[in-house]
Amino acid sequence: MRLWTVLAACLLGVAAACSPSSTGISSKPSTTLQVMAGSELQDIEPLLPDLEKATGYRLKMSYVGSLDGAERIVAGDRSPLAWFSSAKYLTLLQGGSGRIAAQQKIMLSPVVLGVKHSVAQGFGWTANPNVTWADITARAKAGQLHFGMTNPAASNSGFVALVGVAEAFAQSGSALDTGTIDAAALKDFFSGQSLTAGSSGFLSTSYVRSQDSLDGMINYESILLSLNQGGQLHEKLDLIYPKDGIATADYPLVLLDRSQRAAFDAITQWLRRPEIQTRIMQTTNRRPALPEIKPDSRFSSQVLVELPFPGSIDVVNRLIAVYLDQARPPAHAIFVLDTSGSMDGQRINSLKRALINLTGADASITGQFARFRQREEITIILFNDRVYQSRDFTVADTSASSPDLAAIRSYVNTLQAGGGTAIYDAVYTAYQTAAAGMQREPGRLYSIVLMTDGESNVGRDSGRFLTDYNRLPAQVRAVRTFAVLFGEASPAELQQMANTTGGRVFDGRSSSLSQVFKEIRGYQ
Amino acid sequence: MSRILGLVLAGLLAIGVIVAVGVSLSGNLAPRSTTTVQGVIGSEKQSFFQDAGVQAVFRRNGLTVKVDTAGSREMATSVDLSRYDFAFPAGVQTALKIKKDRKASTTYEPFSTPMAIATFRPIAQLLVANHVASDAGGYYTFDMQAYLALVARNARWTDLAGNTAYPAGKSVLVTSTDVRTSNSAAMYLSVASYVANGGNVVADDATARRIVPQVAPIFLRQGFTASSTDEPFQDYLSIGIGKTPLVMVYEAQFLALEAAHDRALTPDMVLMYPNPTVLSKHTLVPLKPAGDRVGSLLRSDRDLQRLAARYGFHPSDPAVFTAYLKERGVPQPPQLVNVIEPPAFEQLETMINGIDQLTRGGG
Repeated sequence: MRLWTVLAACLLGVAAACSPSSTGISSKPSTTLQVMAGSELQDIEPLLPDLEKATGYRLKMSYVGSLDGAERIVAGDRSPLAWFSSAKYLTLLQGGSGRIAAQQKIMLSPVVLGVKHSVAQGFGWTANPNVTWADITARAKAGQLHFGMTNPAASNSGFVALVGVAEAFAQSGSALDTGTIDAAALKDFFSGQSLTAGSSGFLSTSYVRSQDSLDGMINYESILLSLNQGGQLHEKLDLIYPKDGIATADYPLVLLDRSQRAAFDAITQWLRRPEIQTRIMQTTNRRPALPEIKPDSRFSSQVLVELPFPGSIDVVNRLIAVYLDQARPPAHAIFVLDTSGSMDGQRINSLKRALINLTGADASITGQFARFRQREEITIILFNDRVYQSRDFTVADTSASSPDLAAIRSYVNTLQAGGGTAIYDAVYTAYQTAAAGMQREPGRLYSIVLMTDGESNVGRDSGRFLTDYNRLPAQVRAVRTFAVLFGEASPAELQQMANTTGGRVFDGRSSSLSQVFKEIRGYQ
Repeated sequence: MSRILGLVLAGLLAIGVIVAVGVSLSGNLAPRSTTTVQGVIGSEKQSFFQDAGVQAVFRRNGLTVKVDTAGSREMATSVDLSRYDFAFPAGVQTALKIKKDRKASTTYEPFSTPMAIATFRPIAQLLVANHVASDAGGYYTFDMQAYLALVARNARWTDLAGNTAYPAGKSVLVTSTDVRTSNSAAMYLSVASYVANGGNVVADDATARRIVPQVAPIFLRQGFTASSTDEPFQDYLSIGIGKTPLVMVYEAQFLALEAAHDRALTPDMVLMYPNPTVLSKHTLVPLKPAGDRVGSLLRSDRDLQRLAARYGFHPSDPAVFTAYLKERGVPQPPQLVNVIEPPAFEQLETMINGIDQLTRGGG
């Protein structure tokens, strides 16, 4: 009887193996499935051809910030699958709408603090399992620890870290609620934040560029381990796992379209095969989610106490607002805006709309987080063939009736197009503005946004700009320029600007200026 | 006789499979005709229904059983049941509610599993030393009354006497799922409300409302909770003691791995049984005649009963279960005596709605 059962099961196995999707016997092409994904999943792409061979499903990843993604999914995005480092925000946001049809964890990576080895040694933190968030805060407050972290409203690693730190400071032992958010302790902690970014990968790149003026960064364990393995660091980072707890990203693959259940099962089963889990561990430095594959020696064997995660969306949103308005170092955002003749009509109106959205007109969740925040300083520098007198705004009040925001709106509404395009003169003026700002207020996080729809045709050329830029003090050169490609702007010119300053180019031609400006806010 | 029949059936099955392989390679001809039955089930039974052996038994009885998963509570409230031949929630209360609403004639209870707490030996021993648990020889029991007292004073792990095993500053809490969507959490609430109500099943809405503030903290203080029982159990297995020192599970989840000698289970992983505990009685409600056949097969077919045992469920014939575990070299689970009945669907609803309101209030 048993023999027969085994034989029957074997044959069933053969039957499964003979289905066209798994052997490729049939000429039937693979099924393509759209996956809305977090940008840190880019390191999974090398696995996808093998996934397709084995399952017949080709995953087409489109990358988006985690909160933005959650908001789009709840609004009815048609992607059948989503894959972010966490689905908790989405779960809370979806409420009873049930957008998540199924989910399965694929891999794990705790969010931890990487500190330069010499600095960690000086603090007595090397191989010390008793470091707490309070110890880290004390060093930050004393000006001895300058770190980078992503913006929690844009990127999941910053978000997870913020929740962890806030949970640790609440000292209640239980999940955070609005009454136990300790804004003062958070402010002390974030006084050490000297670098921000809209994604974990960009943070890592920015850290490498500015590593000599920083002591460490908060990021996924996987990214910190990868940096230590690569050759770009002047000094290795010691990974600190605070004793009072950390938060772990668990990368669930999420099924959104119930009719794709079979595809979801096939894909998750393949990703959780022992040999694939081992391969993920080896190539991405993430811990396996399949319990039978034990993390190897690259990972700390310290018991990682996991902090609770808030149980309500209101608590989470309140926490992000506290970070932006009270806890983080305030930003000084410098906007360099092209008002040349070619901007006339639709283009200048799009620009006005994008800026006015940042004063509170965009009521979406991500729009609310992208708004100009309390304590923020904003400089607007307009240019065409000349650079106009810049205008400074300080935001104290962020309410709907705020006179500060009304002043920005009325200024933006006066914009008119005409004349040529003096890009380099305008950007150099922005650097002078940043330099002057740093004299007065060194604690702010400075950034420049350049929006242009043409090539530079008046004033400094790129060579002269580079000479002048290189004469600036190091901390002024560290201010990154985020360039918005629009209209007939030169991709090469803007990419060079981004490369020179450590910034990034955002494409305002393929998505709306409003969307791009919202995304850039994650980097300011 | 049955042995010969088995041989014949297995042989026929093999031929059927060969034919099916031939068919699937040669084109899109329909396979041997079976009646397709559509069911909606709790997610904890999904792997059972996906099991090739289970599907084969149904097929040789002329059925192809396809299932969607849904939370038990959803099944009784929001799922459109008209699309299904049967509903198969994890709890008898939900089943009775569906039976009443859909005017079904009968229900089937083919298998059950008690609620248990998956933990680690050092944690269990720490709780024994603090009189919250006791060692019953081979397994542990978890004193719900003593636990609720710990929660009432917001005890941290570091507050426990003689704690060198787990010096974490977080609260002593059993990790559960979201009580608003998941049956296992509703089972947990059943036990907690029974204890909070002085050892009585909550039997009316006034009592249910009165009990809410006493039991809500065991859920609210956890913060985020997952919607399916598999999630915290996976955390227990892969992240371990740092995240989930105590996790409310179905005994079946643990036993299935134990019987399979799954390497995910390490020697320090142990089960505790809440005292009192409650049984999750998986109850099938036939909505159409084809669903009735599924229910009747699940209850009477020896192979299906045996396959259910493989997934850790107690089939209706205890001998099948005992024999299977013996064959696998797994210790028999305890005969639990202090097993309570859960409250009726309506009282559970009242308590869950009360907890939901407190959650929305910002925890």
